[in-house]
Amino acid sequence: MTRSTKKGPFVHEKLFRKVMKAKDAGDRSPIKTWARACTVVPEFIGHTFAVHNGKMFHNVFVTEDMVGHKLGEFSPTRMFRGHTGGKK
Amino acid sequence: MPRVAGVDIPNDKPAWISLRYIYGVGPKIAREICKRLEIADSVRAKDLTEDQLSQIAGLLTGEYVIEGQLRRQVQQSITRLRDISCYRGLRHRRGLPVRGQRTKTNARTRKGPRKTVAGKKSVKEMR
Repeated sequence: MTRSTKKGPFVHEKLFRKVMKAKDAGDRSPIKTWARACTVVPEFIGHTFAVHNGKMFHNVFVTEDMVGHKLGEFSPTRMFRGHTGGKK
Repeated sequence: MPRVAGVDIPNDKPAWISLRYIYGVGPKIAREICKRLEIADSVRAKDLTEDQLSQIAGLLTGEYVIEGQLRRQVQQSITRLRDISCYRGLRHRRGLPVRGQRTKTNARTRKGPRKTVAGKKSVKEMR
């Protein structure tokens, strides 16, 4: 079920304000965030986010193609290291 | 056999069914086309007139994305997902289901034939 278009995309207010602030200040350092559900909006392009995955922060540099996706999509929460045994 | 949209040669099924042999034309678009050109359900593909064929071709190239162009579009979307390394892109890279299906069992379409692991306990032994 997709979100109603009436509401527009979900953008984390606080994070958005932070991005605008960083933009004004010309600050390019990664913005730490837990807001994985926040949609990437065009204003985010060119910024780096440190997106929490439950354990650590993944640095995500936002490009134009990423608009419309959620921040969490770029910070995997599971790690698969292979099955036991493997090679003998 | 009539030729529509380049290489596609549907057979002597009803027109609205044989149109579906074109990549990118399914039930919906096939019906839509037949309705707009007023081709009755009973008309077989081989009985289509030259005029109707060219009209179909005109519609397909003008208003719909089909065949090579559609395949390219799909590929491009997948490549885009891969390049931005989002979750869906990662699943495409690994050849695993993209839309959250279970992978403990099934998912054979994406994973391909089973690779049996020697020494792995079977379901029977675990009980």
